[in-house]
Amino acid sequence: MNWLHNVRRRVINTSRKPIKLEWSDARKAFVIGLKMVNMACAWHLVFEHVGGIRAVSGPSMLPTMEVEDELIVENRMVSIQSLQRGDLVTFMSPLDPTRGVCKRIIGFPGDIICVDPTGKYAPSTEHVVVPKGHIWVSGDNMSWSRDSREYGPIPFGLIKGKFIGRVWPLRRAAWFSRNFQYIDE
Amino acid sequence: MSRLAALRSSWSSLRTRWRQATSPPPIKWTLFTLFWLPMGICFTDMGYTVKTVTGRSMQPTLNPDSSTWRDVVLFDRWSIVVERKYNRGDIVALKSPYDAKLIVKRIIALEGDKVKTLPPYPDAVVEVPEGHAWVEGDEPFKSEDSNHFGPVPLGLIESKLSAIIWPWSRRGYLNEPSLPDPQDQRSPAWRAQKAEFERAARRRARVEYSGSSSSS
Repeated sequence: MNWLHNVRRRVINTSRKPIKLEWSDARKAFVIGLKMVNMACAWHLVFEHVGGIRAVSGPSMLPTMEVEDELIVENRMVSIQSLQRGDLVTFMSPLDPTRGVCKRIIGFPGDIICVDPTGKYAPSTEHVVVPKGHIWVSGDNMSWSRDSREYGPIPFGLIKGKFIGRVWPLRRAAWFSRNFQYIDE
Repeated sequence: MSRLAALRSSWSSLRTRWRQATSPPPIKWTLFTLFWLPMGICFTDMGYTVKTVTGRSMQPTLNPDSSTWRDVVLFDRWSIVVERKYNRGDIVALKSPYDAKLIVKRIIALEGDKVKTLPPYPDAVVEVPEGHAWVEGDEPFKSEDSNHFGPVPLGLIESKLSAIIWPWSRRGYLNEPSLPDPQDQRSPAWRAQKAEFERAARRRARVEYSGSSSSS
């Protein structure tokens, strides 16, 4: 246990003599600091471009996700072609670029969408065509959700990834399924 | 204790074998590069990137007809991705709302401002909604901008142009255009600066600003 002794002697000065710091110590500390920054960068890159586990909050996806205390697995390696109607897509809010939000994809470019079946934001008979390069998204909790009904279709460029499953709470851990039924096919 | 000693000796033998295997310089330098790669990628992801600008939509600021080169420019991501500073008059790179391809445009107005639009847009005056910006190219006839697709969400903007690197004759930071000194000699550079100032003034004249000077 010689190394432990050395560490202890360096951290807590047990001898009477003061420890003399050499230039090599400063250099070592600098390299250790740089390595920690490097680790933080790697961590950030993985979360930003590969995926990870995230905590979610908010009532807009209610039966699918609780208001808080849930950990969700996110996949950031998605292409537009791989997304389908019914996927839980994550994107930057068009109202505030610092906020990430999760909604369900309802329509792709060319689809004809009923703007608001509940009639809250628009008369329930109003229909629009989703423009090129955009998707139509909606929260599962239609009565408490700011989604495409309010801010319109969102461009592909805002899309970050998609939620693929829940890991916490453990008894409700599951893969998210596409709860989407096509009526005529 | 002997088991621990055996573990330690096997560990140390593994370490010596690892050192021997990675001692040749090519392997050593490859591993070194791989180890420090995350910092480099993070720098281009959140810091600064060098890119070539194609297309004529930002003429005459970028890619003027007099230039035989495509402009190589420095994009600053930090002030957009981290600081979230969006200023009117900044040239920014954003993902096109049509197909998510990167385009270079100038921010004309931010949320709350009222803009007088140019022909393809259906309304004469538009108020920029919350969290959006109005972007336009400097050359209105060759640019597909907010006059076609309307105000864009700030989230689409991903970096800000901070300097021209190449061609060498036009290198330098892009600053707020100022009126040249009327006492100076009327050189082509003087006239170019005056023209740039007048263009900026015309841009500003089309916008009715709301209270805030910048938005986040």
